[in-house]
Amino acid sequence: MNMMRSLFVAAAILTLPASGMAQYAAGDVKDGGTISGTVKFKGTAPAPKKLDVGKDKEVCAKTPKMDQSLVVNNGNIANAVVTITDIKKGKKIELKKVTLDQHGCEYKPHVLAFPAGSSVEILNPDGILHNIHSYSKVNSAFNIAQPKFKKSMQQKIEKPEAFEIKCDVHGWMSGWLVSTANPYFAVTDNSGSFKLTDVPAGAYTVEVWHEKLGKSTQKVTVKAKEDAKANFELAGK
Amino acid sequence: MAERGIDEKEEKKSYGSIFLIGSALLVVMSIWAFWDDNITRRPWKGIQYRFYRLDYQKAQAAYDEEQKKLQADANYQALYKKLEEAKSSLEKGELAKKLAGLKSQEDDASVRFKEIDQEIKFIKSEMEELWYEYDHAVQQQRNAKPYLDRIRELEKEQAKLDPVLEAARKKRDALREEIKKIISGTKEVETEMAKLTAERDKWQRVMANVTLKLGPVTFYKIPKIQQASMDEFDRNRFDQPVARVDRCQTCHLAINRAGFEDQPNPFKTHPRREVFLSDNAHAPDKLGCTGCHEGQGVAVNSAKQAHGEVHLWEFPLLRGAKSQSSCTSCHLDVQKFEEYAPLLSEGQRLFEQIGCTGCHLVKGYENIPKIAPSLRKISAKADPSWMVRWIENPHKFRPRTRMPNFELKPEDAVAIAAYVWSSAKEEGDKWLQEHALPAGFREGDANLAARGKTLVETIGCKGCHGFADGEFSTPVGKGKDLVPNLKDISAKTGAQWIYHWIRNPRGYQPDTNMPSLRLSDDEALAITTYLATLGSKGEEITGIQEKLADPENIKRGESLVRKWGCFGCHDIKGMEKESRIGAELTIFGSKTVEELAFGNRTDIAHTWDDWTYHKLKTPRGYATERVEQVMPQFDLADEDIKALRILLGGFRERKVGHRYLADQGLRVQQVVEGRRLMQQYNCVGCHEIEKRGGFVRKYYENPASAPPPLNGEGEKVQSNWFYNFLKAPIPLRPWLQIRMPTFGFSDEHATQLVNYFNGLSKVEQPFVYIDDKKISPENLEAARQLTSPEYFNCFSCHVRGGKNPEGPPEGWAPDLAMARQRLSPNWILKWLKDPQKIQPGTKMPSFYPGGPDNILGGKDDRQIEAMRDYLLTLGGGAPAVAAAVAADTAKAKPAKR
Repeated sequence: MNMMRSLFVAAAILTLPASGMAQYAAGDVKDGGTISGTVKFKGTAPAPKKLDVGKDKEVCAKTPKMDQSLVVNNGNIANAVVTITDIKKGKKIELKKVTLDQHGCEYKPHVLAFPAGSSVEILNPDGILHNIHSYSKVNSAFNIAQPKFKKSMQQKIEKPEAFEIKCDVHGWMSGWLVSTANPYFAVTDNSGSFKLTDVPAGAYTVEVWHEKLGKSTQKVTVKAKEDAKANFELAGK
Repeated sequence: MAERGIDEKEEKKSYGSIFLIGSALLVVMSIWAFWDDNITRRPWKGIQYRFYRLDYQKAQAAYDEEQKKLQADANYQALYKKLEEAKSSLEKGELAKKLAGLKSQEDDASVRFKEIDQEIKFIKSEMEELWYEYDHAVQQQRNAKPYLDRIRELEKEQAKLDPVLEAARKKRDALREEIKKIISGTKEVETEMAKLTAERDKWQRVMANVTLKLGPVTFYKIPKIQQASMDEFDRNRFDQPVARVDRCQTCHLAINRAGFEDQPNPFKTHPRREVFLSDNAHAPDKLGCTGCHEGQGVAVNSAKQAHGEVHLWEFPLLRGAKSQSSCTSCHLDVQKFEEYAPLLSEGQRLFEQIGCTGCHLVKGYENIPKIAPSLRKISAKADPSWMVRWIENPHKFRPRTRMPNFELKPEDAVAIAAYVWSSAKEEGDKWLQEHALPAGFREGDANLAARGKTLVETIGCKGCHGFADGEFSTPVGKGKDLVPNLKDISAKTGAQWIYHWIRNPRGYQPDTNMPSLRLSDDEALAITTYLATLGSKGEEITGIQEKLADPENIKRGESLVRKWGCFGCHDIKGMEKESRIGAELTIFGSKTVEELAFGNRTDIAHTWDDWTYHKLKTPRGYATERVEQVMPQFDLADEDIKALRILLGGFRERKVGHRYLADQGLRVQQVVEGRRLMQQYNCVGCHEIEKRGGFVRKYYENPASAPPPLNGEGEKVQSNWFYNFLKAPIPLRPWLQIRMPTFGFSDEHATQLVNYFNGLSKVEQPFVYIDDKKISPENLEAARQLTSPEYFNCFSCHVRGGKNPEGPPEGWAPDLAMARQRLSPNWILKWLKDPQKIQPGTKMPSFYPGGPDNILGGKDDRQIEAMRDYLLTLGGGAPAVAAAVAADTAKAKPAKR
């Protein structure tokens, strides 16, 4: 079972960039529509698991740590990434500064999405040693120490890919970086909802990806200045 | 008129038409001769013209492309304008006038300088002569004064002229300087321009290279044979060194040129030419082509001839992968080139590992030990009925076994079993008596079996054995397993043997490759219980015991064992002196079709390739009514047959000249020998070595829980430590459940393995001496800080002298107190600098670049060195050594005074 799950996740990691690799031309979008919806969990969600904090407790165990790999609130899935996989033309890609905070030995946000080419600022306010070990395959893998005296580091992610990051010092720490091929992406919030804006009118494939539940796609037609709905349901493995 | 003997009619007769026809014929014949000589008989000339055209057109296109790019480049335009302006200003206008004036002045000044210089030189020569006359006069006691007077006079003259010469030189140089200044502006622009247009000009040179210019006319070069000659490459039939000459590149003109990859042959670029044809590999201008590809290198009259694909030529062209056969002519270590010669490497592994050498002698492969288990105590191990069935056809029970199928008649299988059984009975019975099954064994105990299963899955059994259908660790080729799959082990043997075997494999067979996992009695019992649940005893053959004890059977079995050569792979009592039963294969690759027996087969092509393929596919296929064939059926996969064929093709009667051989020195021999040993013990089952293996890693989701890769291990660890570790492994990573087993290596084998890893890493100096006196207190203090929680917090993960870090064991890292004994000091530096480079994916993060600014001047290299020094002192006793050294020096000082 465990094997199957990891295989599935591996498959998801491998296929996500491939589907997002289509050439993208940026420009101005007039009268764009939106795509919004919610991502729901099919069936009964497993009870959230408490993580075992066995190290650096005075810093890491101030608040109880919960497993963030599957967060479901009233059937709504948080931390799922919604993207348009086949969009050829659309709004400009803004490479904003994105921040990953390790405060309290936990990655915040748990899933960080951004357009490929962005630099991720990684913060370590904990005053202890962390390291950021990427399990990336498309981007070259990195494993960089962030000792106490390095409060902030930059790491540029060049290519579209969803990959896990872990801290080898604190085995429970796990997060995901999702770099996308175009600026149409959203991470679902605690209510499982998302919204993609300034989408030029047209028919698209919208994909939802979740680290544990894999992915699912649907075709969505967007009309100018209108909101198109895309609701997803992901089943537990 | 006729009486004068002149035939007027004859005189007046015209032979014009005959001469005309004759000369016309001569012209035609000359043209034909020329045509025949240059075109019909020299097809390569046409090919070269075709290539020149192709080359020229490609270069022209590339040139135009570059030119277009340049035209669009504002930089180029500006520079071009600047250059034109500079040039024209030098040709006309004020500057031109000035330059012309300066040049004529410089000419004059130059002439003036030369004149004076000449004059001085004459004076000097005259003086030389006078000095001679003067010396001569003095020696002959004549009057020498007139000479001296004249010398003084000349000296005065020269003294007068010297400043004039200097002035003339200065004037000339000043003028030259001025001219240079005027021109230099243009020169600079020209250099800049050349840089910008380098890419375009390159193509111009390519075009110039294939053409000849005769005034205004340009035409293609005259074709020429391109020949590579290798002195003393071959030996002739009288064993004398002879040159090898090949002319392949007369047609294959682009073989070592980039840009022709998409062309059809003969103009195609060699695949991966940057590797294969590089100057330090096989530069084709020096080494030609036939060294690897064979063929008839000197022939140029047709492709067929040149490729040696003609009747009775013994070395037809080796195309593509087949050329891998040739590697062994010059290279001793071929598996090093796995990436470039994959089939050859695989073929060699197969050859060494499926038992070919049990029956066939091949130079270089003589010392491979018997690959199969000893049968000296087989009666203590095997179920007799199973054994008979196994001998009859092992593939039925275990399709991926290396043991071949001898296609025996049932009664012959019984006879062989009877002989082997009787030869082992005495020793086997004794072993059974001495090794009773422990009283605690309860067959089928579910709890114990479950524990055994967990152990099997965690402590490393799966590094070698499979325990279910299709499960295996180290494959041999595509279709075979190196180590038996145990899914039906109960059919073969019982709990008593298993228990004692797994506890101490060498107690049963002293030279076995199976290592000890240092099992406790409890663990061995649990695993035995589990293994006993895998498979079940087969049906007993009626009267098997009687059959095995039947002297008639035993006698017949003995001759059958000799006939089939069972002792090639198995150690059998009474057969110690038998030698290999198969044909020697040392020069098998050189065999011509005439030397191969195809039997009565007409359904296959009569070539070496086909013969060899079918021999390996159905070894007895060439048998006839009269001629029996004994080679057994291996059931090899097609890919494996092809790989083996590549290796066999390289078994040639060929002595390549010394200077052409790749390194065959001691180090290379050690690598080849050590690798063979490493594969024999299946180190690659668990560890990745030379980027291959680590097959057990597939069972681990977390790579940190799997055995470490050993790429570059020779560079990493100290040889002395390594040797001791191999002899008696200790847990280095106590958090791992998988165990490094104890192989019980002999001193010789342990040394060979250390040499192998050292050879791979090119370790020049296997010994390490740590001079504590040289470790500075400043470094130690800096490193203490760097490793502290304030900075890198090394001991947050690393064990230190047995003191474990916080948190669960799977988060721990090796004990740094071992560094002094275990690690090579230089390797520590490399590791600290960039661990990911040495071991991609390692849990150890990179701390550099980016050390703290306030320690050792913020210099990364100094910090790394300091930490290395510090780690070397952690190995217990080092500070004491340092203290002792300090005391010594304190004592020594007064004595010196």
